[in-house]
Amino acid sequence: MSIIAFKDTKVLVQGITGSAARHHTKNMLAYGTRIVAGVRPGAGGQEVEGVPVFNSVAEACASRPIDASILFIPAAGVKAAALDAMENGIKLVVIVTEHVPLQDAMAIMEAKRRLGATIIGPNTPGMISPPEKTMLGFVPARYFRPGPVGLASRSGTLTYEFVSRLTAAGLGQSTCIGVGGDRIVGLRFREALRKFQDDPQTEAVVLVGEIGGTMEEEAAELVAGGAVTKPVVTYVAGHTAPEGTKVGHAGAIVSGTRGTMKSKLAAFERAGIGVALEPAQVVKLLQEALK
Amino acid sequence: MRIYEHEAKQLLRQAGVSVPGSELASTAAQAQEAAQRLGGPVVLKPQTMIKARGKAGLIAFADTPQEAGQAAGELLGREHAGEKIDTLLVEAKVGFDQELYLGITVDYTEGCPVFIASSEGGVEIESVAQEHPERVIKRSISPGQGLTKEQAGEIADFLCPPKDGAVDRSDELRRIIAALYGVYTKFDCEMLEVNPLVLAGGSFLALDATAAIDEDALFRQAEMVRPRGQSEAEFELEKDHRKRGWTFLRMEGDIGILSSGAGITMAILDLMRAGGGRPANFLDTAQMNRQGIYDAFHLFLDDPAIKTVLVNIFAGLNRCDDLALGIQDFMTEYRPSFPVVVRMVGNREDEGREILRQVGIEAIAGLEDSVTQVIKITESLS
Repeated sequence: MSIIAFKDTKVLVQGITGSAARHHTKNMLAYGTRIVAGVRPGAGGQEVEGVPVFNSVAEACASRPIDASILFIPAAGVKAAALDAMENGIKLVVIVTEHVPLQDAMAIMEAKRRLGATIIGPNTPGMISPPEKTMLGFVPARYFRPGPVGLASRSGTLTYEFVSRLTAAGLGQSTCIGVGGDRIVGLRFREALRKFQDDPQTEAVVLVGEIGGTMEEEAAELVAGGAVTKPVVTYVAGHTAPEGTKVGHAGAIVSGTRGTMKSKLAAFERAGIGVALEPAQVVKLLQEALK
Repeated sequence: MRIYEHEAKQLLRQAGVSVPGSELASTAAQAQEAAQRLGGPVVLKPQTMIKARGKAGLIAFADTPQEAGQAAGELLGREHAGEKIDTLLVEAKVGFDQELYLGITVDYTEGCPVFIASSEGGVEIESVAQEHPERVIKRSISPGQGLTKEQAGEIADFLCPPKDGAVDRSDELRRIIAALYGVYTKFDCEMLEVNPLVLAGGSFLALDATAAIDEDALFRQAEMVRPRGQSEAEFELEKDHRKRGWTFLRMEGDIGILSSGAGITMAILDLMRAGGGRPANFLDTAQMNRQGIYDAFHLFLDDPAIKTVLVNIFAGLNRCDDLALGIQDFMTEYRPSFPVVVRMVGNREDEGREILRQVGIEAIAGLEDSVTQVIKITESLS
């Protein structure tokens, strides 16, 4: 099994006629993703890689069942497109676009809570479930193999780096999720961890974090509270990065001391989570955990 | 993108929040004239990105126009934390009894705006929040609904509890609270802060204001984009980087780093520092191609401090041979004085290696090995 997206997940591509969207639609189809429709206002009736294009999400949803949508939409249009998908009942939306304005991201997250949807991203290469041959995004599929490791990462480039090392060491993956590199993202480490805990195929989880934000601390608290019993291994990039100086006092009042490398490492230690201080240690820690 | 105090105050004033009378001055004579026009004692505040100006002794008070001119002469041209003071806000000095704190920022964990207020504003607000959390009110705001009347009322009552016999100021406070949220959304702020808001002469005045605009929203806040604390050339360069989608931060070291993706670049910086190397920069770019990598090399070209450059390529979707051609283009055209170390794996790796050999570069496959190698070469050059 995998989490979140499966071989029968029926996928919509919003903005399907753009050149990047066409290219990635082709790759996703080749990998095995069930792309059933595309949307591009004004291009209804066309086909892209054999996928029928509709003028609106509503039209596409009226014509066939759709479970998930992936957006290839410029930053300025992401809010409208994501809300459109969710308001038409789509429960999984992958937003690959980077540089989505904060206030737009906040509006998307509010709609997600209201409509009970799952958002992956923004600013993510997407997700891939190798056992299900399903990819929503544009990770380099040839590095991924089916197996027992669940991975959630804030960094796309580090995902490829680590997955290539896992695969080379014979450790395949159940599902790998780029949760997104932005300050506000939908699916967070804690939710990914819960889903991996419930997935019978996943035997261990890798979390690839970064300095800043509180996702690592939340994940550690979940593990410390006993909700996750599978082994978790982490790597956090930015050990030697200077702590960002905050403008004004408001940020510090809200987040306190969370977000620093010290706070993340301390939280992992309290939770008994294995921390790889260098990339090379991730595979070793996983191999020990899976013994 | 942080904006200056006087710009933030301008936004507040347009929204109906009172601020003290003020003028900008960039010479001592201008400051003196400004003080003359304002009449009475003034405060002189450098318009810089420097934090905690008061604590750094960069805020001056003057009772007469002559004193204002003199104080301005002492402040203007001073350098602090790498920034030169070239503009002062000359502002009428305001006496007050109580300092309130009002701020709006983003709760990144919950993904919503949060309004924060305290009746104990001033420079120590962070310790107040830590030691006496009950003296601070925080309200999460629904982005769809906005700040509700009830929330504004709650915050106003918290700041100025209604008392028998006292003047009821809650209506005015409520209006200011709502105006602040209006500015926050209208200008795509990631934070907006008034600290302090004071009661003077029967009405509230914003004595200081700080604001930062979300860089990702600048496409719809174009009128806010202008040089601040930087030369025209630096400003243009920053604009160019933004257009290309690059985040480039020059640091103190001597090893240039050309790698796309924030996560892997941070990991390289960590490995490099752990190995005793000194990275010269952080760089985050979108996926690279031949032209992009050629362009990015120019970041290091006219920088005399750069001794070596490390290129990291993990071609998962793009291709090693295409990127190697970009490196070849650059090396052939410029014959740079710095040695270039390339880590390269991914699609069409062998073809890419062959292209790099033609310009005398033997690509390395391991990330850690490439970092060790570039440190070794850099040390041998010192």
